[in-house]
Formats: sequence, C-alpha cells, structure tokens
Amino acid sequence: MFEDYEPADPDEPASPEKVTMETIKELGQIAPPQAPEFEAQPFHCLSIIGQIEGHMVLPPRNKTTKYEHVIPQLVAIEQNPKIKGLLVVLNTVGGDIEAGLAIAEMLKTMQTPTVSLVLGGGHSIGAPIAVAADYSLISETATMTIHPIRLSGLVIGVPQTYEYLDKMQDRVIRFIVQHSRIEKEALRDMMFRTGELVRDVGTVLVGEEAVRVGLINEVGGLASALARLSQLVQPENGGGIQ
Amino acid sequence: MILYTVLPLEDVLEGIDEEPTPTMMLSLNGLTLEVEQLEGFQARVVRLHSTDPEYYLVAHCQPGSIIHLGEF
Repeated sequence: MFEDYEPADPDEPASPEKVTMETIKELGQIAPPQAPEFEAQPFHCLSIIGQIEGHMVLPPRNKTTKYEHVIPQLVAIEQNPKIKGLLVVLNTVGGDIEAGLAIAEMLKTMQTPTVSLVLGGGHSIGAPIAVAADYSLISETATMTIHPIRLSGLVIGVPQTYEYLDKMQDRVIRFIVQHSRIEKEALRDMMFRTGELVRDVGTVLVGEEAVRVGLINEVGGLASALARLSQLVQPENGGGIQ
Repeated sequence: MILYTVLPLEDVLEGIDEEPTPTMMLSLNGLTLEVEQLEGFQARVVRLHSTDPEYYLVAHCQPGSIIHLGEF
C-alpha cells in the first residue's frame, strides 16, 4: 500500500540549486559566494613577504607579513592531521626582530615537516626564518644580506646602548648558529665585514654562496623543495605523499 | 628597495601620495580575506591570507574580484 512512499531522507543534503532557489524565495536574496570545501592540501605554503611587521603597524603602502596572522596559521597547520608539510617561501627585506624571531621559533618547534625556500631575497631577520625550517633551500639568484642590527633615529650615545644592541645581535646569531651549519665566528665576521656593502657593514650572499658558508642546505627551486618535503614526510606516513 | 625597470620612476610611483582606502579582514568559511569596502555592501579583495594553496586558485578569492557582503 505504501510501496511508492519514500520518506524524505533527513541525511540527504539539499541540492545547491534548491537551496539557492529557496533563499531567493524566502529571503529575497541569493546565497553568498561560498568558498568550495576543499580537501586539505597535503602541503601548505606560507609566504614571508615584504617587511616583517612587529609591534608597530606599518603605513599601508608597505607590503608586510603580519606575525599575528602567521602564528595562528602555524598553529592550525600543526594541529591539522591532513596537512603533512609546510613550504615557507621567503622574499623579505627583513623587519621587526621580535616578530621575526617569533615566527622562526614557531617554525623550529613545529612537528610538521617544514622546508624553506629563499627566492629573491631573504635579508636580515629573514635569515633566522630560513634556517628555522627542517631543511632550507635558496634559489640560484636569491640573495641574503647579513648585517648587524642597528637602531635608526635618535640614538642616545651611552655604552649601554651598544651593549643592548649587542645582546639583541647575539639572540639572532645564536639562533642562526644553532639551526644551521655556520660557525659563530664566521657569521660574526660576515656581519661586520666592511667594503662589500656601500656605506654599510655586512655581507651579501648570492645563492650558492649561502650554501657554501653553511647558512642554507642546498641550492634549488620549487620541485626540489617539494621533493625534500615529501622525503621528510615519508617516515611517519609510511610511503609518503601520493 | 631597488627598482629595475624601464619605466620612469614617476610612472611607477604614480598615486603614491593618495591615501589608500582602509581595508578590513573578512572571514569566509575559515578563510581570511583582506578586503576594501565598496558601496552597496560590496567589497574588493585586496589580499588573501591562507596557507592552503588551493584557495589561491579560486576565482572569487583573487585580488581585485568583488564579493557581496550583504549576505554575511
């Protein structure tokens, strides 16, 4: 008697067209543009671009990496079991030392495998971020400027100022030395080298040179970075990424 | 910043004195978009804040595309 009767399946999702039609009818508007639900990609990509913005919001003309956005993203990546690895792409001119070190420390202490790729430039505070990844790559033409920390603007000339800056300097040096193959003395020497930068002290490392001094692991590009990431993922994944 | 271009500097920096429109952050299905508010509940995407590379392929997430805010 009730053979033809089919109860509405509450689990069956309404078709998108039906939903749109109903919203137009009932609410007089169309559905918002929904971002499609994606399968989480196995590798995520974090770009560290422009100035690394710290405690001060930079004028809107500056392209900045905002650490308060980056850090929760790193937390989300670390917690998401579907995300197997993170590729950090650097093209930065440096920036706030505290924000830069914060990002570097977060990257360093992540369990998710990380690979960094320096493209274009990874200057100043970009160096600790580059070495913080499990494996670091630099493209052939990319440059990294290693130079001392300094204050701009009014500097009160007391010995304490120098000592304070030296202490800040040591934080960066210690971090880089701990997480790369470079020796402390060699790094300090590069930082204070004269004659290579116009009106400034420091060293510019181009591609291969950064690898030779032990700052970066390898010269490479996108394919080698992704290949390395797959390799880092393999042990826990039992076969790697398909 | 070093510019390596055949364009004259005044062309590259045209409009640099103009105050840029303030932007706001918009959350959409777990994705954060930096948008510039336009008239009539519309907004123009300025920047996409996500580490998921798939989102960068979605047409309405591209910088410059206009989305409707009325529904949020």
